[in-house]
Amino acid sequence: MKKLSPYFFLIPSLLIFSVFLFYPFFKTIYLSLYKTDQMGLPKKFVGMENYRKLLTSTSFYNSLLVTLIFVLIVVIGSMSLGLIGAVLCNKAFPGIRVFSTAYALPMAIASSSAAMIFKIMLHPSVGIVNKLLGLSINWISDPRYALICVAVLTAWLNSGINFLYFSAGLSNIDETIYERASVDGANEWQKFYRLTLPGLSPILFYTLVVNIIQAFQSFGQVKILTQGGPGESTNLIVYSIYRDAFFNFKFGNAAAQSIILFLIIMCLTLVMFKIEKKGVKY
Amino acid sequence: MKKRTVAVMMAAVMAAGSLVGCGASDTAAVTETQENTADEEQEDTVEDATVGANVEAVENAEELTAMDESQLNGTTITFWHAMGGVNGEALDYLVNKFNEENEYGITVDAQYQGSYDDEINKLKSAQLGNMGADLVQVYDIGTRFMIDSGWIVPMQDLVDADGFDLSVIEPNIAAYYTVGDTLYSMPFNSSTPILYYNKDMFEDAGIESAPTSFTEIAEAGDKLKAAGYDETISLAIYGWFFEQFTCKQGLEYVNNGNGRSSYATAVAFDENGAALNILTAWKDLYDGGYAPNVGRGGDAGLADFSAGQSAMTLGSTASLKQILQDVNGKFEVGTAYFPTVVDGSEGGVSIGGGSLWALDNGDDIKKAATWKFVKFLVSAESQAYWNAQTGYFPVTTEAHNEQVFKDNVAQYPQFQTAIDQLHDSAPQYAGALLSVFPEARATVETEIENMLNGAQSPEDTVAKLAEQINEAITDYNELNYE
Repeated sequence: MKKLSPYFFLIPSLLIFSVFLFYPFFKTIYLSLYKTDQMGLPKKFVGMENYRKLLTSTSFYNSLLVTLIFVLIVVIGSMSLGLIGAVLCNKAFPGIRVFSTAYALPMAIASSSAAMIFKIMLHPSVGIVNKLLGLSINWISDPRYALICVAVLTAWLNSGINFLYFSAGLSNIDETIYERASVDGANEWQKFYRLTLPGLSPILFYTLVVNIIQAFQSFGQVKILTQGGPGESTNLIVYSIYRDAFFNFKFGNAAAQSIILFLIIMCLTLVMFKIEKKGVKY
Repeated sequence: MKKRTVAVMMAAVMAAGSLVGCGASDTAAVTETQENTADEEQEDTVEDATVGANVEAVENAEELTAMDESQLNGTTITFWHAMGGVNGEALDYLVNKFNEENEYGITVDAQYQGSYDDEINKLKSAQLGNMGADLVQVYDIGTRFMIDSGWIVPMQDLVDADGFDLSVIEPNIAAYYTVGDTLYSMPFNSSTPILYYNKDMFEDAGIESAPTSFTEIAEAGDKLKAAGYDETISLAIYGWFFEQFTCKQGLEYVNNGNGRSSYATAVAFDENGAALNILTAWKDLYDGGYAPNVGRGGDAGLADFSAGQSAMTLGSTASLKQILQDVNGKFEVGTAYFPTVVDGSEGGVSIGGGSLWALDNGDDIKKAATWKFVKFLVSAESQAYWNAQTGYFPVTTEAHNEQVFKDNVAQYPQFQTAIDQLHDSAPQYAGALLSVFPEARATVETEIENMLNGAQSPEDTVAKLAEQINEAITDYNELNYE
């Protein structure tokens, strides 16, 4: 009985997980082996056909490539924005609260509403961005800029929560070690590089993992700003899944893409936990 | 070691979490398997559409007349629609009016379900659990899907049962929703595309009449450029325009009589040359610097026009009010017929917008109540109000006699163009019916973008369009009809 009791405590969470996680997960695998009819019901068993089609389609590889570039820009952008903001706000000075709020604000903005505002700001003829810069660039209809625009918007949106994490991380670093470093004659850069970054490393690692997963799942911005276009230049894999599932009603195809996305994210996360052993000091 | 296991588990859970967004919804759509019944009904509707409808109509006529109207008292029907903003307010006004004024004691519960796409997706999920609505507003390109779905009562049944005179409905609008002499749904909010132009710029540049074709647009563009106006037309990349350019050539989009004599099995625009004409003309305008890429979707070209940047734009008649509001008297807005891509081609415009579908819930009282409400919505008075508030067409010709309508046309004479254009069209240009229209439209937009961005020639674009859309059609037919 003593040995069994821990498992009882696990039951509630397992129940919730199985309804909202395990069941959908296995159902997705099941669906990925079928073709579905107009109602989205599995109609014809096709085995690995959906996967074979995906892995031979240029459109899918394009989605992967676009997603990869997007994730890189978003993760680097949002983490550096959050870190810079947090380091700047780590000093006490008058008006600090105003700045802290400003840096954390993106956290409170829904991605879709931010996208709507960006859409107006980036409008080629009436948008403020072109007016201020004196340019006439068609930001979201030009395949050279569209992805960057969506990525920068996402990076800014995600930076808010990162700012919060980093601020918390910074306040956990003991002030006295900086004093000792000053006595030893360390300059600001050395202090940042030798003390702040290692001190932040656990939280840096956590935000990195979360940010990568979050970036992979960005959706609202793409749906509102570019709808995957122009051409397929912003057709992120999550958006492509949405198109296939809820627009084209090809759930089989969408499920297969979801599984591949799952494998990619799982591998990435495993790799990161491996790296954690080397770089993170608790 | 322990930490390692935890790490691996965390990784798995996090990654699995990424799937849940899609997974959960998948299951919602697939929980109950009622495919068999749906399929059988579907075959019926496709093959015996006309015969079946007539027999049913006679039966229904008896049922409905036999039923005492007092039975309707206290009936509540659910109405799903996709009208937000100003249009939504106008629709709510009509619904409230019906609820207050109808003598039968019927209550209509109107529910806004988001965009047309969202609404049809919700309907698909809801119908699997039989908890949907009694009346739904569905967009034009969902017509084939609704006919095939097996969920509906053809509007013709209700019309026949009541002895309603269909001739008051604009014939060119009714034609779109009529397949094999059966009116499947009641047109409600219909619009056509027109050309909007800046009269002040045109006067400045000495252009006397609005262009009627792409060549004339280019000619006007030269004059406009000479007068210092750079952007001739803000031409949005919109699948609906592509379809309309096909209708304007009098050619078909898909085979089997534009998907009307039987379900379509392939596109026709590649072999009959319609697509190549459109794309060549479009690319010429773009390359000539007359029509820059202003983005995708029906509204993409409007901002440039309203801001006084472009001299012309293409848009739905339903945008007229918005445009006049945005322009706010800065310049005079002119309207003209939707242009042709080939000079002098004989064709017409088709309609867009939505129509009302009665769902078969096996409840005759609700069916009767639904019809009363539909009849109210397409009455001359309601339609005149609807037209004045939204800019959608009055679907009944009788609305033209209403004072509200006359005042509206007097205030916005630009609207007369839309009416004349529709009357100049003919039922044979009603446009295509296609099951995979939403996908086809998106494909058209993507490939036009690729073409304008220099990735491919018009010929290649046509080939790509045909290949992708045909594949979608074949897939759909194989899974749903065979």
